[in-house]
Amino acid sequence: MDNTIVVSTPPHVKSKRTTRGIMIDVCIALAPAAIAGCVFFGWQALMIILMSVFACVATEFVYYFIQNKGFAHKCADAASVCKRFIKQFDFTSVVTGLILALILPTTDKWYEVFYEVLIGGIFSIAIVKMLFGGTGKNLVNPAAAGRVFMFISFSVVTYVTCNIGYIGDSGTLETGATNLSTLLGANATSTEGLLDLFLGTGIAGCIGETCKAAILLGYVYLAARQVIKWWQPLLFLAVFGFTAVLMSGFSYESGYKFDIELFLPHILSGGVLFGVIFMFTDYTTSPKGVYGQLFYYVVAAILVAVLRYLTKVEVTSFVILLMNLVVPLIDKYFIRKPFGYKKAKKEGK
Amino acid sequence: MKAVKGKYYFGGIHPRGMKELSASAALEVFPEPEEVAISTSQSFGKPAIPAVTVGQAVKEGEVIAHADGAISSDVFASISGTVKEIKDITGDRGNETYIVIQSDGRHTKSYLPPLTAPDAEAIKARLKDAGIVGLGGAGFPTAVKASPKTPVDTLILNGAECEPYLTCDHRLMVEKTEEIMRGARYLAAALGVKKIIIGIEANKPDAIKAFEQFDDVLPVVLKKQYPMGGEKQLIYVTTGRRVALGKLPADVGVIVQNVGTCFAVCEAVELGKPLYERAVTVSGKSVATPKNVWVRVGTPVQSIIDFCGGESSAPKKVVLGGPMTGTALAGYDVYTHKTTSGILLLSKEEAAAEEPTPCINCGKCADVCPMHLMPMNTAFYSAAGDFEAAEKYGNARSCIECGACEYICPAKRPLIQAIRKTKSELRKASAPAPVVRDVAGKPLKEIDGKPIEEAAPDNLKNKEENNG
Repeated sequence: MDNTIVVSTPPHVKSKRTTRGIMIDVCIALAPAAIAGCVFFGWQALMIILMSVFACVATEFVYYFIQNKGFAHKCADAASVCKRFIKQFDFTSVVTGLILALILPTTDKWYEVFYEVLIGGIFSIAIVKMLFGGTGKNLVNPAAAGRVFMFISFSVVTYVTCNIGYIGDSGTLETGATNLSTLLGANATSTEGLLDLFLGTGIAGCIGETCKAAILLGYVYLAARQVIKWWQPLLFLAVFGFTAVLMSGFSYESGYKFDIELFLPHILSGGVLFGVIFMFTDYTTSPKGVYGQLFYYVVAAILVAVLRYLTKVEVTSFVILLMNLVVPLIDKYFIRKPFGYKKAKKEGK
Repeated sequence: MKAVKGKYYFGGIHPRGMKELSASAALEVFPEPEEVAISTSQSFGKPAIPAVTVGQAVKEGEVIAHADGAISSDVFASISGTVKEIKDITGDRGNETYIVIQSDGRHTKSYLPPLTAPDAEAIKARLKDAGIVGLGGAGFPTAVKASPKTPVDTLILNGAECEPYLTCDHRLMVEKTEEIMRGARYLAAALGVKKIIIGIEANKPDAIKAFEQFDDVLPVVLKKQYPMGGEKQLIYVTTGRRVALGKLPADVGVIVQNVGTCFAVCEAVELGKPLYERAVTVSGKSVATPKNVWVRVGTPVQSIIDFCGGESSAPKKVVLGGPMTGTALAGYDVYTHKTTSGILLLSKEEAAAEEPTPCINCGKCADVCPMHLMPMNTAFYSAAGDFEAAEKYGNARSCIECGACEYICPAKRPLIQAIRKTKSELRKASAPAPVVRDVAGKPLKEIDGKPIEEAAPDNLKNKEENNG
């Protein structure tokens, strides 16, 4: 008898999709946003992206190497550990690195922020992902956590510049009037044209967040490949846009005014679109069941809109972290009822 | 009647059908094997009790083992010859008693008398006498199903054949349409129902067309989606009725029968032929010529493979049954049962044998679950050994083990294994503690002054149920 026959529990045929395939899909979906960032912000943006991805992948490799090689007991040779690393490598750290870079602002002197991006990448992978058990075990989105970490550690140079101002030619921070700041300020108005907002032309912001057209291209790809559910970002954006318009109604000195024309500017300003398509939808840190997901996206959308109005800064990353932390609770309380469950209850047997 | 479209059902997968391998191969009769080994455990429930002795001559269709109790079925000799031995063989379904018959090559038959214009009672008696069981997979005795405790108004024929690869029901529906309809009418008469519905997946247009010519059956076209042939799913899609958890289809006034069963019923009533032969699909990319064959119960799998030209390449997996729910074999030295619907030789490209990677919480298993469960929770908690939580958060007990979750899982997690483990642990936990009795039959609390737990721990162990 041929000894290669495999015996296992059913099913004996499985879909060809793997975790690695899905993560490569996400990388492909992120490509338009990354390319648009490079086009708008030049090769410095490309350097930041490359550095961030390198930092994330290298961190994962070093962590894996230490964990498996076992410096205390030298049981495996380095070459075989490398081989095993490549075999199990699932591109999650590439996705983290890409997202982390795309939500960072760019500067004219990339080498000045070199170490910041590096430390952000190491923090995202080593502390947020690997220490909690690696792929699928992290509590919060590594990229969002990395960004918030950078905001707290190097606030002036990186985080504050996003969406509120940008680093000008002189390399100093210019807190100019970006669209988001006028939207969130008193007498909310949108200063930029909708088309400019959509294409990202002449807009200050993070590398991957400015060109909404590229982000939507990624969304269409992800939805078509069924990596994310198509309705999730739409639900979020609808609730978010409505709440944001409601909130900015309070900003007028002349009294409350509900201006539905601000709906699209709100959605197209800042990092909300990028966050909802690539970060809220992260599998590991979002609820498993459909009802849980509905709850998650609605609450997250309201939180982003309200907090963004109250704090006047881009809070998407913080809300992502906050919502990630309540996901275990959501999963606990939103349990799906099996098919035929209700009827059994009605009969009272 | 004109075919209608089935209702939308949420949950399910769309695996590659692979039915083109054998869909056009007409049913062939497998030549009588030299020797058959017939298991006494051919149906859901208790195994039958052997009624023959070694050396006894038996005819084709003769009873060789009697049903033990209500939920069990008679077993028949599938060839004429002499009983060579009765032995226990550990085969694909665990340890079972097999009756080995050596052929005498004379094909002497011993059928039941044919029935003409039978009434309900006569049909029910014939279902029992002919050892008819559900040929869809579970092998539930049809006679028991035909006597429901609650009133029934609809008979649904299951022609979905939603499992990939399998085509034997499809061939039956195309080639034996008349017989299936006659069998269905006998079943309807036994149940006293007027309405007959047949559910057929959209990928079998010729079968749908074949059934449209009858006035007393309503063909319902099902979406090509696995598992549309699941009993509860089929009932919902064709009638819109929901079978509550832990209830039977008869509780919503429906009985589901496989089309193969209907054909067996027709033969049992009109010819008096007991159930010892069935259609089997031999398929997969590793088999030389995929075929649909009439195979006698107890035929060695090796000889069926040889009949289909043998292996064309080394198979990665050998499966008895469908690829989604069948059993993987370690070799060909097993024998067919009444419920064997397919023999698949899956090549390296087809068979799934990837290493599992960590769960990424994508929730795809819950999205495709036809019972609307959360398999990832069951897997998570059962790995931690907390089977109560596995049931609470994953509803493992309601699982129909269709395998859709594991099919879709991008991390290739062994979900079905986790669910089966949880089910068996829950069964163990819920079984009542056995009572140790003394000679007079009184329950014993202690032996020689010691509590019973210490004195005779073996006697207190729950015996795991073995349903085969």
